Amino acid sequence: MSAVATPGEPAGTGQLPAARHAAQERAAPMPRGRRQTELAMLVFAVGVVLLAYANAGLGLNGHIPSGLITYGIGFAVLVGIAHVAVRRLAPWADPLLLPLAALLNGLGLVMIYRLQESGRSGNPGNVISTMTASTATFQLVWSALGIAAFVGVLALIREPRVLQRYTYTLGAVGLALLALPAVLPSRFSEVPGTTAKIQVAVGGFSIQPEEFAKLALAVFFAGYLVAKRDVLALAGRRVLGIDLPRGRDLGPVLIAWGASLLVLVFEGDVGTSALFFGLFVVMLYIATQRTSWLLIGGILFVAGSLIAAKLFSHVGVRFTIWLHAFSGNNPYNISYQTVQGLYGLGYGGVLGTGLGHGQPYWTPLVQSDFIITAFGEELGLTGLMAILLIYGLIVQRGLRASMAVRDPFSKLLAGGLSFVIALQVFVIVGGVTRLIPLTGITTPFLSQGGSSLVASWMLIALLMRVSDTARRPAPQPIQEEGMTQVVRGG
Amino acid sequence: MNHALRRVSLVALAMFLLLLLNVNYVQAFEPSFLAGQRGNARVFAEQFQYQRGSIITADNKTMAESVHRQGIYSYQRVYPDPLVYAPVTGYDSIYSSTGIEETEDKYLAGTDPKLTVHNLIDLVTGKPKRGATVQLTINSVAQQAAYDALKATGLPSGVVAIQPSTGAILALASYPTFNPNKYATFDGTQLKNIDDRYRASPQQPLLNRAIDQTFPPGSTFKIVTSSTAFSNGGYNPDTRVYAPTNLKLPHTTNQLINFDNSPCNDGSNPTGNGKVPLIFAFTVSCNTVFGNLGMHLGDNPLRAQAGKFGMNNPNLNIPLPVAQSNYPPIPGNDPALTAYSAIGQYNDTVTPLQEAMFAAAIANNGNLMTPYLVQRVTAPDLTPLVTAQPASMGQAVTPQVAGEVARMMVSVVQSTDGTAHTVVTSGTSYTVAAKTGTAQNGIKNTQLDDAVFTCYAPVTNPQIAIGVIVKGGGLGADASAPVAVKIIQAYLSSLAKR
Repeated sequence: MSAVATPGEPAGTGQLPAARHAAQERAAPMPRGRRQTELAMLVFAVGVVLLAYANAGLGLNGHIPSGLITYGIGFAVLVGIAHVAVRRLAPWADPLLLPLAALLNGLGLVMIYRLQESGRSGNPGNVISTMTASTATFQLVWSALGIAAFVGVLALIREPRVLQRYTYTLGAVGLALLALPAVLPSRFSEVPGTTAKIQVAVGGFSIQPEEFAKLALAVFFAGYLVAKRDVLALAGRRVLGIDLPRGRDLGPVLIAWGASLLVLVFEGDVGTSALFFGLFVVMLYIATQRTSWLLIGGILFVAGSLIAAKLFSHVGVRFTIWLHAFSGNNPYNISYQTVQGLYGLGYGGVLGTGLGHGQPYWTPLVQSDFIITAFGEELGLTGLMAILLIYGLIVQRGLRASMAVRDPFSKLLAGGLSFVIALQVFVIVGGVTRLIPLTGITTPFLSQGGSSLVASWMLIALLMRVSDTARRPAPQPIQEEGMTQVVRGG
Repeated sequence: MNHALRRVSLVALAMFLLLLLNVNYVQAFEPSFLAGQRGNARVFAEQFQYQRGSIITADNKTMAESVHRQGIYSYQRVYPDPLVYAPVTGYDSIYSSTGIEETEDKYLAGTDPKLTVHNLIDLVTGKPKRGATVQLTINSVAQQAAYDALKATGLPSGVVAIQPSTGAILALASYPTFNPNKYATFDGTQLKNIDDRYRASPQQPLLNRAIDQTFPPGSTFKIVTSSTAFSNGGYNPDTRVYAPTNLKLPHTTNQLINFDNSPCNDGSNPTGNGKVPLIFAFTVSCNTVFGNLGMHLGDNPLRAQAGKFGMNNPNLNIPLPVAQSNYPPIPGNDPALTAYSAIGQYNDTVTPLQEAMFAAAIANNGNLMTPYLVQRVTAPDLTPLVTAQPASMGQAVTPQVAGEVARMMVSVVQSTDGTAHTVVTSGTSYTVAAKTGTAQNGIKNTQLDDAVFTCYAPVTNPQIAIGVIVKGGGLGADASAPVAVKIIQAYLSSLAKR
């Protein structure tokens, strides 16, 4: 913590002793863990998911899916395990994060099931060629692995600060994971049907290392910035009312910028590049509180994107699709996927067609990058706004934990992780709804694909760990020795 | 750091607000723009999500229906007897439609305002939307006989049969024709291939020869020439008229001759330069007599009479649009060209439908009824939406003149000299009144003659009037008359059974 008292936290000085005493009296009752609230919310989330699952089956062929009981029990058990783990490992954690994540994961499973069933066994619609009859089952297995990873993170990392020890190790791991697909031959790393080299595929089993690199690099940024933030924040000159950093302090920013551009160029993955750079700049800003970093970062990013758009056709075409989606032959050609997604959203309208009643199968890769358009089509504007609000709530709970925790490393890590969810949702949802140029990244918890799901669960685990630390009551004095003051950490 | 975190929260809030605003714009304000985009497969596929109405014959035989199937498109258009009914139904493909499928689309698709209330009730009661059933005047027996008979000729041909008293079209067939089932595919590539193949075919299977193509009427036009003579020339069937073997034409060295250069002799004209009764000239179809008669009557009265029979009408819709049958103005009022026009040559052109209308007007005492195909349109809940009201196009000739022409047409069949005597009397026991035509074709008659035939039956109580044209069929009596005879036999015997 900096020496200056941060606004919003009770300052230790300047209050009358009586008032301070009163404040302590109020804090004295044990804060509640709110695990019962979490359980109630989880029951609600599982109920919503099961209703949606039944609804999808009824919409498709008029029958409740035969797997409702098995899958329902399976999903409920998974969520139950996560809840028990939280009770034991992070009893003070925020009660909303787990139910919100479970709800999104469950809705994603339902939509993937609905898309997989399209055109199969007599259901209306086209078979989506990029999905098999067991895609949803695989996704459920991935959900189980995700929840296992969630429990694993909670079990292994009992204090967020322990991660600070591995700052540079995790930084190296993150960069290696990020660079891995670029150095591998295309046949291992290229996503079929695209030019993006973002995965490692061996024998039909593929993972996207960038999803885990995101977490490792967030830890690295947090550790690095906590160590360097004073020099980054204080040294520098003031030009035109903006504090500019020293030239030598620009190094890390330029390295991060360069790394994100390399990802962009060698892996053809604009979305991930934007995500990493955005994550770094925002964490830099949180650490230093200097607006100039945001400005410098923003200028570098825009300049980098524009130069990349001019130099690399696969980046330039994103801008063409964004600006001229409906012009000329574009809807049948380069902007086909985008306009199909928009047609889906328009077809759904305000109230949606209902699960199973839309035609999301027209949109290529609707189960991954464009899954939000399938929700928009079948659940309508209403359902889509609800989903966006769920994401918003997760971000809000994460930022709240970040503000409440005292340790600067945890604060920075939670802030960065929360913002990266917001940024990821903004980039993908903004992309498919044509608010910004489309860059293909996964929609957290919803998109088909295991790496993203497991990484998202790990991210939620980290946020809950920070939240648990923040809300854990201060250790009670062992002996009551008069007015001995407990010095609280931070 | 919490200060910066608060700012970051505000940035995150702003990002979510932008997303929310944008999805509101896309989903609440843009849908009509998006739905109107070409290539919006969702909106396009939606029209195949409900059942299009059926097209049925007057005797309730299904010509076109939509059957439920698996897949994106829930309903598949099926034509159970595709070749027989193709010229009537047309096709309904994913890109376009023709025939009744096109003209009655608003009923079949259920988009007509008259169906709005029914659709609304279905929406409220949860019943799926359905199109209305269109019942045509087509009689399945007559239509089947018509198609089979055309097919038997093996030549490009068309035929139309009309009920003279109402104008209801009993049969409308064309050969060679196409298979509308092939157009009902949902596979765009397959559709394009089949369409390209049909369009490139030298047989022109997509051409509806019954109403879309015109041919020279040949001697069947003598019905119009006779009608003109009876109506304003003071003639009757027994009037003796000049009947040369060769008719010298003014201002030209060409001479009008009879078929095979034969004389026009009923026994009273041995010199080939005397006179014969008009009815005899009609019965054996003397060109010289009617060429000469046409020159005497003049071009304008002939054109006026042709118009009363329905020719020169560019706006005939049954509701399929019908090609205009022409009796065009003659340049410089050249009497030689009038002589040719009077026997159905020069620039006279007619559709098989027009041929049927000649006979129908005579059969209905000169009152020409507007031909029509749609008998009634019925909503899915069986409420009638449209019921045909037969309407007159006007009196083509007076009943008296109609009787006189009828007498001559009966003679064509009943007189042993008549051009249609053998073929008709050997083919059916019903009494038939007819006129044959053999139209010369091509520049300097280089092509085979077209066989033309118009008739009605039975003579005393006409139930059916038929016009047939067989391209390159030679003598009208040889190629066209058997087609009409088969239809008459099949249709009238089916009426008798009922």
